[in-house]
Amino acid sequence: MTRIGIVTNRYRNLAGAATAAILLSMSAAPAAQAAAPAPPCNADSLVKETLPNGTTWQMCWRIHKLAGLVLDKVFVSSTRYPEPVQVLESIAMAQLNVPYDSGAVEYNDLTDYGFGGGNLQSLGGDDCKGGSARVGSDNAAEPERRSVLCVSAEPSGLAYRLQNPEESKPPIAKQGHDLVLRAISKVGWYEYITEYRFADNGRITARLGATGDLSPGDFVTPDKGWPIGKGAQSYSTNHYHSAFWRVDFNIAGAGKEKVEQYDTKRAGSGSGAAIFKTAKTAIAKEGSFTKVNRRWWRLVSSTSKNKDDHLRSYELDSGANDPYEAHPETTPDVTFTQQHPCEVFATGNADPQCGNRKTILDYTRDKETMTDPIMWVRVGFHHIPRDEDQSPMPVHWQGFDLTPRDFTEMNPLTPPERDGNNGGPGNGR
Amino acid sequence: MDDIKRATRKRWLAWGSVATTAVLSTAFGIATLDAFAEPTPGPAPKVAADPPQVSNPSPGPAAATGVGDDPLTPQEVAKARSVALTPQLVGAARDVAGAKGPEYLSSDVIEGGKGRDAAFYFYDYRSDELVKQVVDVTRGKVTGSFRAKDMQLPASDREVATALDLVLADPVGAEVKKLYTRVTGKPWSGKDKLKVGAHIYHARPADTTSSQCGRHRCLQLVVRITDGPFVDLNDIIIDLSGRTVVRVK
Repeated sequence: MTRIGIVTNRYRNLAGAATAAILLSMSAAPAAQAAAPAPPCNADSLVKETLPNGTTWQMCWRIHKLAGLVLDKVFVSSTRYPEPVQVLESIAMAQLNVPYDSGAVEYNDLTDYGFGGGNLQSLGGDDCKGGSARVGSDNAAEPERRSVLCVSAEPSGLAYRLQNPEESKPPIAKQGHDLVLRAISKVGWYEYITEYRFADNGRITARLGATGDLSPGDFVTPDKGWPIGKGAQSYSTNHYHSAFWRVDFNIAGAGKEKVEQYDTKRAGSGSGAAIFKTAKTAIAKEGSFTKVNRRWWRLVSSTSKNKDDHLRSYELDSGANDPYEAHPETTPDVTFTQQHPCEVFATGNADPQCGNRKTILDYTRDKETMTDPIMWVRVGFHHIPRDEDQSPMPVHWQGFDLTPRDFTEMNPLTPPERDGNNGGPGNGR
Repeated sequence: MDDIKRATRKRWLAWGSVATTAVLSTAFGIATLDAFAEPTPGPAPKVAADPPQVSNPSPGPAAATGVGDDPLTPQEVAKARSVALTPQLVGAARDVAGAKGPEYLSSDVIEGGKGRDAAFYFYDYRSDELVKQVVDVTRGKVTGSFRAKDMQLPASDREVATALDLVLADPVGAEVKKLYTRVTGKPWSGKDKLKVGAHIYHARPADTTSSQCGRHRCLQLVVRITDGPFVDLNDIIIDLSGRTVVRVK
């Protein structure tokens, strides 16, 4: 209980300091921008926590019957940048496609089964050890309030390290932390962990963990599975988990982000090393895109800038990722579409109000010009079972990072002794 | 202090050389017990500060109404569901049991609405259509009504129970009961011995026996023996619209 008081007061003080600073500098920014935003949801739906390094994340959470955990209205602030600034309008899973390599079965676990309702697990045992199990609606047809969301702060390792200019002093180093939100859904024998990690440096990680047990009934020939159990008798079937997320940015509450793709290509040789040139491609119209070496995308605000006059943005960083080329929807890595309330799931979108808009292929067909882009991220994992998958199966993860790029003019965790270290010597060349 | 440091360093050096010996001697198949001795433990690392904590608010009394995009509260669901079930809808639609009124599937808050708007989803077994009723929860009014064929949402508990009943009443039911006995060693004693979930099943291009699934509402069961293992009934498809049970393999 004491802790709640500390967190709340700290937050309020920081917001107050921001207001004062703006008034003193006679900034043209309206005072309303400086005030902490009124919580856009009931207290039970609000998560607002300050990590040890001073970064505060605030968001609303709820459970959707199909999509499971949904986060809305995500704001970030820090000791250095105390004014809460919105990052996301919402983030949620948008499909989980699980076909088995035998060709016998295929599941769409969100739209044909559902992560919410009765399939959402009540937290118990070590599910939320060291964290806070939050109570909320499971969004079943007849909703129940249960302990379903785990909120915790977890160490993320060394956040930064720099040898102290005064060498007799210890290095300038800090341990980092993540605010972690997770919910667990049981879909048959598999159990899925929907997890979002909000780092004290502004990074957001979305990932899906799979545990539970392997399919008890899918056994095949050696070319489609892996022998588990004694000898070479039971070949557990290889299968895919293709997960989709729907990400709706709302940077600084200004919306209207632009989508940019960056590619870095070899451009000959210099006197000491190869030359590489990086170029931007504006993506103005809806479409699906696939990664090549060194390619990345970002959503950049049209208007909101950091103190260095750079437009704020977040970039998509994906890691291990197996495309599933048997479906056109699960082949590309990312799809950008204009925001439409009808378009909620990447595939299997079933809304009688929305006609034939059922998949991302339908959403992008008219190549609409985007004024409010939605990012659909696909991350696939081809699972070849192994002996150690039984039992329970060790959690295997798939997901991506959203990394701030120019959201603040310096690292939000920069300590006071590094205050002046912004830009090239002599303020750039 | 210096002595301690020196002593510690010496021990580590000694450990390093022993480890090297171990690798070499193992290579020649003469591993010694000494080679696996652990180094003398040094001083324990300084205990880190308390692990980071988050607040742990005790949930207050459940709010009667939500704010913004908050989930619908049980009171809001109860109130708006009765509004969504207009006399016209109840009169014309049929549920999974063939009785008057549509089958209730789910409800959700409509994101980004100005007030509290909810979508209620039903299945009409008479026309094989998914029905969406948009309800202004605050004013208690239906503000939109939509229906479409060839569109399915996950099954309600009642639909899953109905599907199991259809399986047990079908000739394949005898196989399910036999499977139960084979797995548990006990005679079949009733459907409460099974815990059942279900995926919506859509016909695959190669399906011949269940090609109507998708236009019809079909389920594929996920069955676990109560307090026991899962059993595989993947090849049994239940067509709730046609009230038939077919095999797909």
